[in-house]
Amino acid sequence: MILIIGGAYQGKLDYARAAFGLTDDDIFTCRGDRIDFSRRCIYALEEFTAHCPESVAYFQAHRAQWQNSVLICRDIFCGVVPMDAQARAWRQNTGLLCQYLSGEASQVIRIFCGLEQRLK
Amino acid sequence: MTFFISGGAKNGKSSLAQRLAVSLSGDGRRYYVATMLSTGAEDDARIRRHIADRAGLGFETVECAKNILSVLDRAEPSGTFLVDSVTALLQNAMFPAERDYALDLPAAERCGSELVTFAGLAGNVVFVSDFIASDCERYSETTEAYRKQLAEIDRRLAAVCGTVVEVSAGIPIVHKGALPI
Repeated sequence: MILIIGGAYQGKLDYARAAFGLTDDDIFTCRGDRIDFSRRCIYALEEFTAHCPESVAYFQAHRAQWQNSVLICRDIFCGVVPMDAQARAWRQNTGLLCQYLSGEASQVIRIFCGLEQRLK
Repeated sequence: MTFFISGGAKNGKSSLAQRLAVSLSGDGRRYYVATMLSTGAEDDARIRRHIADRAGLGFETVECAKNILSVLDRAEPSGTFLVDSVTALLQNAMFPAERDYALDLPAAERCGSELVTFAGLAGNVVFVSDFIASDCERYSETTEAYRKQLAEIDRRLAAVCGTVVEVSAGIPIVHKGALPI
């Protein structure tokens, strides 16, 4: 599994399309608390974590299904602690998921202004 | 040669950019492209601090709040240009003071294209931008549009510049190319 992280609008999905030859049909864009792991690329994990408070448990339960996936998550971690409790929980849930996934990943890539930085 | 520098606030981007511009220009002319439009005492103090930082470094100041290409009419195009910052140029274009700061999206897109063209025409350029893309704030639609436009310009400049550097705590992280200093 390859994990791609990076800030908003940095070009994470464009990078994944080019680097791994992905087409639209390969990409699942998260919108709720379920993921279609039959697609090679799972995009916008931060939208999944916004809807699924136990995101790590969800990924652990489906572990066999994403071993060869490209997973993409937005870095939302560098701001002030949010005043809003829901936003705090979202940020924490997303951070814990990224830590779990980076441990499992064969590669972790950060995208900065469209450029790749190999973290693992 | 062209350089793109970004990173968090107060991490040493301008300081690195100044040293780089001095080194690149050698005996040639070096220009500081002043992009900030003051909106009051706080900005005035910041501008004074930046002027003091540059004192003695031999920069000629070219005022340019909008359309970076106009700088080439007022300076020697083969010189070295420090553009600090992309962020301010976009802000001036996208929220024009003369239109009561109302959103102007086409101007934002023009601003990006002008910067890319400028990178190809000027002798040496050091662009300074700001990295504001990694927090979890739910911004207003207008602020979000600004963040998106800035990231798009940053990506275009990072694609055309020979060297791309992120500065963290004063330390340069080179993402592309190499730093000659």
